[in-house]
Amino acid sequence: MISLHHATKLYGTVIGVNDLTVDLGPGVHGLLGPNGAGKTTLLGLVTGQLRPTMGRVEIFGERPFGNRRVLARIGYCPAGDLLERRATPREWVSYLLRLSGRDAAAARRAAAAAIERVGLSEAIDRPLATLSKGMRQRAKLAGSIAHEPDLLVLDEPFIGLDPMARHELVAMVREWASSRSLLVASHLLHEIEALDAGLAVILGGRLVASGDVEEIHALVDSLPAEIHLEADEPGRLAAAACRGGLVDSLRFDGATGLRIGTRQPRALASHLATAAAEERITLRVLHAGDRSLEAVFDRLVQLHRGIGPAVAKAAAMEARP
Amino acid sequence: MISGRGILAVAGFQWRRLLAPQRLLLAAAGAAFPAAVVLAARRISGSLDRDAAVLLLYALIPEAICMLGLLVTMCPVVADELERGTWQHVVVRPGGRWSLLAGTFLAAVSWTALVGLFSLLLSLAAAGLPASGRLGWIFAALILLSCCGRAALFALPAVIMPKRALVASVVAAIVVEYLAGFLPAVVNQLTVSLRLRSLLVEWMGWRRQLPPELQLLVDDQSAGIQVLAVFSLAITLLTAAGLILSWRQFPPSEEV
Repeated sequence: MISLHHATKLYGTVIGVNDLTVDLGPGVHGLLGPNGAGKTTLLGLVTGQLRPTMGRVEIFGERPFGNRRVLARIGYCPAGDLLERRATPREWVSYLLRLSGRDAAAARRAAAAAIERVGLSEAIDRPLATLSKGMRQRAKLAGSIAHEPDLLVLDEPFIGLDPMARHELVAMVREWASSRSLLVASHLLHEIEALDAGLAVILGGRLVASGDVEEIHALVDSLPAEIHLEADEPGRLAAAACRGGLVDSLRFDGATGLRIGTRQPRALASHLATAAAEERITLRVLHAGDRSLEAVFDRLVQLHRGIGPAVAKAAAMEARP
Repeated sequence: MISGRGILAVAGFQWRRLLAPQRLLLAAAGAAFPAAVVLAARRISGSLDRDAAVLLLYALIPEAICMLGLLVTMCPVVADELERGTWQHVVVRPGGRWSLLAGTFLAAVSWTALVGLFSLLLSLAAAGLPASGRLGWIFAALILLSCCGRAALFALPAVIMPKRALVASVVAAIVVEYLAGFLPAVVNQLTVSLRLRSLLVEWMGWRRQLPPELQLLVDDQSAGIQVLAVFSLAITLLTAAGLILSWRQFPPSEEV
C-alpha cells in the first residue's frame, strides 16, 4: 500500500528524509520520531504534497504527487491548527468535500455525517474560532475522513489535547481504523501503543527500526541496558554478576551502588536476585531500567547520535527492513 | 485536471472570507475614493467637462481601484492558505491546486469588479454623468477586463513567491503595466494597460482627435481584437501560474 524505495527528500542542503526504504501493507501503522525527525516530510511524500528528490514513492501502486486517483483515496489530517476562524465545521468539511468533487447537497450530507462520527454535532454550526483546540482537532479529523478514504494519514493528531479529549480521539481513530488503513505520526510512544499499530521509528530522516510492539520490545532486550543496584557489599555482588556471563560493562557508583551494562537485562536481573540470595548479600535496590517503548526510543536516539557501543548500533540496524 | 465543482467551492469559500466586516469596510472606503476625488476636482475647477471626467474615472477605477482590489484579493492566493493552515488540506484533494488558483481568480475578479462597479456608480453620480447610458457600459466592460487581466498577472508572483507576493505584484504592476505598457514598442502588446487604453479611445470615439504623439500609446486594431488579447493574456498567465503551482512544494516549517 505504502512503498518507499530509497526515497530521499532534500530542502536545499537540509535532509528531510534520507534514503528511506519501507513497505507498509494495509492496516494500522505508527510513525515514531522526535520533532524534526522527518515524520511530516515523510507524510508529505505519502500524501502527494512533496516529490522525492531521489528514489521512488508509491501509494496504492502509483506515485501520489499530482495523482488524482491516489489523492482521492487518501485522507490527511495535518498537525497544524486550523486558523480558519469564521467558517463553521459544517462549512469547512463541506468545502473540502466539494473540493473532492461532491456536489453541494451531497457534500453537506456527508459533512454532517462525518461531524457526527467525530462527536462534534452540537458545535456543527459554531465558528471554528469559538471552538476548543480539541473540537477543532475533531473538525480537522472529520474533514479528513468525510470522503471515506482508503488510507487515513494523521500527523500528531493528539498534540495539545487534554487527557479526556485524547482518550476520546484515540477511541474514535481506533474505531475508524478497524476497517481501513491508518498511518499515524507521533513523537509520543504511548499514543501509538494505544492504537495497536505496527511501528516504524524514524530519526534524522532515516528508518532506524520497525516492527510490531512485540518486535520493538524484543529490540529493547537486544539493546544494551543498564541495571542499577544498591547493595551492602557491591564488590561481592559484582563478582557474582560476572559469573553469569551476562555482563557487558560494570561500574561502581559510590560506596554501595553498582551499575551493570548488559544486553540481556531480564536474564541478568534474575541471575542477580538469585546470586544475592545465595551469597546472602542484602540487595536494597534493583532497578532493571526502563523497558517501555520510551526507553527504546531514547536508546535509539542515543544510537543514532553515535552514543553507545557499536554492537548495539548493529543490533538496531538489523531491525531495518 | 480542473474540476468545476472544486473551482466553485473555492470561489464560494473565498467570497465568505471577503465578506468579513473589515474587508467590507475597506472595500466601501476604496469604492468611495474615486467619487471623492471627482467631487474635489469639480469643486477646485468649478466645472469638469465630460472628457476630463472620463479620463479621471478611467485612471481611478479600472486602473487604480481594480489594481488595489486585486492586490488584496489575488496576491494572497497561496500565502493566505499557508498562514491559515489550510494549504495542506487543500493540496491533498484531487485537483486541489488548480481549483485553489482558478477559484480564487474567480472570487478576486467578481469581488473587485463589483467594488469597481459600485465605485463607478458613485463616481458617475459625483461627476453628474448618467450611469445607465453608453458610458456606464463602457466602464463596466473596462472594469471587467482590467480585473481579468490584472488578476491573472498577479497570480504569477503569488505562486512564485507567496510570502513576497504583494511586493512582487506591485513591482510587476509598475514594471509591466506602467513602464512596458507605455513604451511605444512591441513589448507593450503584452500588457493589459495598452488594451484598456485602446478600448477607451475606440469606444469613446477619440481616435481621430488624438495627437500623433499620443497615438503611439494606443493600438489601432479593432475592439474585438483588444478584448480577445486581454482574455488570451489572462488565460496564458493563469495557465502558467497553474503549472507552477501544481509543481510547487512547501517544506513543513517545523522540520526544516
